[in-house]
Amino acid sequence: MPLLEVDGLNAFYGDLQALHEISFTVDEGEVIAIIGANGAGKTTLMRSIAGLIRSRAGRVMFGGADITGLRADRVARLGIASVPEGRCLYPSLTVEENLAMGTAARRDGPWTLPAVYDLFPILREFRRRPATALSGGQQQMVAIGRALMGNPRLLLCDELSLGLAPKIVGEIYACFDRIRQSGLAILLVEQDVTRALQVASTVHCFLKGRISLSGAGSTLGIDAISHAYFGG
Amino acid sequence: MMRKFAFPAVVLLAGVLLAVAPLFLDSGTLRLGAEILLVFAMAQMWNLLAGYAGLLSLGHAAFIGIGGYALYAAANNFNVPIYGGIVIAFLVAGGIAAIVAPLLFRLNDAYFAIGTWVFAEIVHVLVTKSDWLNGPSGLPLLAIRSMNMAEFPSITFWCAAALGVGTMLAAWGIMRSRLGLALVAVRDNPVAAASAGVDVWRSRFIAFVLSGAVCGAAGGAYFMSALFIDPNAAFDVNWTVILLFIVIVGGIGTLSGPVIGTAIYFALREMLLDQQGWFLVLMGGVAVLTALLAPRGIAGRGLLPASWQRRLLGAFRPAAAGAGRSVAPDAGNP
Amino acid sequence: MDWVPTIINGLLIGGLYGLLGLGLALVFGIMRIANLAHGEVIVMSAFLGLFLNQWLGINPLLLLPVIALVFFGIGYALQVGLLNRLLGKGPLPPLLVTFGLSTMLRNLMGQGFGADIHRIDSGSLPFISLHVAGFSIGVLPLITLAISTACFVALALVIGRTGFGRIVRATADDFHVVQMQGVNYRHIYGLVMGLALALTAVAGVLLGMRSTFTPYSGVEHLLLAFEVVVIGGLGSLWGPLIAGFAIGVVHLVGLRLDPSSGLLYPDLLFFLVLLIRPQGLAGLRRA
Repeated sequence: MPLLEVDGLNAFYGDLQALHEISFTVDEGEVIAIIGANGAGKTTLMRSIAGLIRSRAGRVMFGGADITGLRADRVARLGIASVPEGRCLYPSLTVEENLAMGTAARRDGPWTLPAVYDLFPILREFRRRPATALSGGQQQMVAIGRALMGNPRLLLCDELSLGLAPKIVGEIYACFDRIRQSGLAILLVEQDVTRALQVASTVHCFLKGRISLSGAGSTLGIDAISHAYFGG
Repeated sequence: MMRKFAFPAVVLLAGVLLAVAPLFLDSGTLRLGAEILLVFAMAQMWNLLAGYAGLLSLGHAAFIGIGGYALYAAANNFNVPIYGGIVIAFLVAGGIAAIVAPLLFRLNDAYFAIGTWVFAEIVHVLVTKSDWLNGPSGLPLLAIRSMNMAEFPSITFWCAAALGVGTMLAAWGIMRSRLGLALVAVRDNPVAAASAGVDVWRSRFIAFVLSGAVCGAAGGAYFMSALFIDPNAAFDVNWTVILLFIVIVGGIGTLSGPVIGTAIYFALREMLLDQQGWFLVLMGGVAVLTALLAPRGIAGRGLLPASWQRRLLGAFRPAAAGAGRSVAPDAGNP
Repeated sequence: MDWVPTIINGLLIGGLYGLLGLGLALVFGIMRIANLAHGEVIVMSAFLGLFLNQWLGINPLLLLPVIALVFFGIGYALQVGLLNRLLGKGPLPPLLVTFGLSTMLRNLMGQGFGADIHRIDSGSLPFISLHVAGFSIGVLPLITLAISTACFVALALVIGRTGFGRIVRATADDFHVVQMQGVNYRHIYGLVMGLALALTAVAGVLLGMRSTFTPYSGVEHLLLAFEVVVIGGLGSLWGPLIAGFAIGVVHLVGLRLDPSSGLLYPDLLFFLVLLIRPQGLAGLRRA
């Protein structure tokens, strides 16, 4: 049974339909990437799964349970953690307090504060600093650490590489293996197509709210992706 | 062309009717009529500030009271003819509004609202302590001793009618002017308005001073009609309750709103004449319900269906009545 | 120096003024809601203290925890039942609702309790004084200051040092994102409003022991609390306490110079601060 099953999902902003009949699955321990141009519906998808947007039709199943329409905080407590686009750290809180916020989901597991500091040692140095005083890459680490502290089963990552230097992005993605090894599945949205193809076992390309192409990262050719990405 | 001036034509017709009314009505009715017209004028001005400029003033009693006391001081102490006192009231209230606006504008939203209330209380205390204005005991309108009282109800009624009709026309005119467009733009989105070249501060300032000045004039006329003024009546917090009720029931940010609201307020008041305490509870309850039930903020909507409002005074709502429309989240990056 | 007792008393009552403003500051800081019924909460808690004291004969100081608890419940219900529905609709609706509530409560109390003035009976406490360094300091004002300061300290510890406080601060920063960590912000808002009303109720009872009140006293209490918040500055929980001390001293000194001035001098201080330091004494953000 897949960990996450999205089935015929439709989402709207007012009268504007942002997602049309989206269906795909994520198995335990898998890394799935969503690529696509701006406005294609990628963040809408993440928000719908996380419970921040009400979908009008379709289902989202998580661990066998129907979580469609569930409130966002309930979804988080069931084991879906988000690393939102733009990091969205809490400016009034220190690095350590931001990380500790992850525990509000009240889930036990291997990801504790020491474990996160182990993963991202630089954060231990800055633990008492206001989180927003860190560099972009370090903030991204805090955001990921905060999500991990909820010991989720599924991690939703939206645009990890946005605004970051390639070297830093590489360091962050290098941690993915360790994250997966702790039992998590990862669903990520990524602007950088090359990166997405490298790290994910399956890639879905979104175009105008629909999936235009799906396949294993290694088997998709540049032309096919181009076509699926831009349409026409 | 005809359609465009249909509204002011209707208002002027009403003005003509009001002008001849004293020939047919007795002095008691004229007094009530004057009161209705004055409260209407105040509501129209409060609406200008809240509905169009987006500034919620909880201390407008300050200007009403300042206007009243300015008229009394002018008439009693400086022998200004009392009808001229209304002009004095206008100027004094407007002047004080101009002085206090820069301070109050440093506060945002909720804090502006309460700040106006604090200002009203300061004025209240200052007047109560003032020996020159006879403090808490209040002032009688001494100037009437040397006047022909037979004409007093009629002339007072005409003053009130002039203010009522005048504010209606002024509101209509403002909404069609650049100031009106600027105000609505500022109300809906100050940042966008500023980037489009609107002087946010100046637009609000003009609205605030105008609103204060006219409420001062109306306050002067009101207390002139009452022949007596005291600080508690002049600066009563219930002025705010009444204006809020009228504008909410009639529809914030509409031209016809204050008409409907004033009518309903006075109808209810006459019905609940010896239950004023419960009437105030009711008015408070209406404010609560309206804020809860109005779907997206309170813009251009009263308790009456829009079709009624249209029929009554012909859809003279400002174009940007959808102030509460929310922005689609992340429309650029789903 | 003749002024020292006045200043001391100003500081003593200043603690209470600070507490009167604390609830208002808390709610505005976390939820951006200005509770215009704040004054009526103060009066209602004073009435509750009055009635419980009359029926049970217990000293009102001992009633404080119970009254605080009652108003915690009222605050939670108010937020979750009413004010949470107005989230995301802009600044106007909460102002209108709380203004409407304040009008209703004020006049309901007026209908129910009449216009008589009341004071909560605290036995012989108001008449006991301590003699310290040649000055006579009332025991009740001292206790009032102690309780007020204790409330500030307790709140600062809760907000700054506990997990709950961390969640509250995070929710204040970004109530959308906080859901992603499993926090139900509507519930947190309810708890914060409950806390705020509980603190306000304590202040209300202490005030009711110290001065007289009627159903219509709420307006001046709201204005005083508001001045405390603005003069103290937003973004700091200690701001209201500092402002309270400043206002307390200004108020009593002003009354001594000008016995009929009421709250005039604190009002003027408010406008002065607005003029020269809009972010308040301890403020990090403008009001």
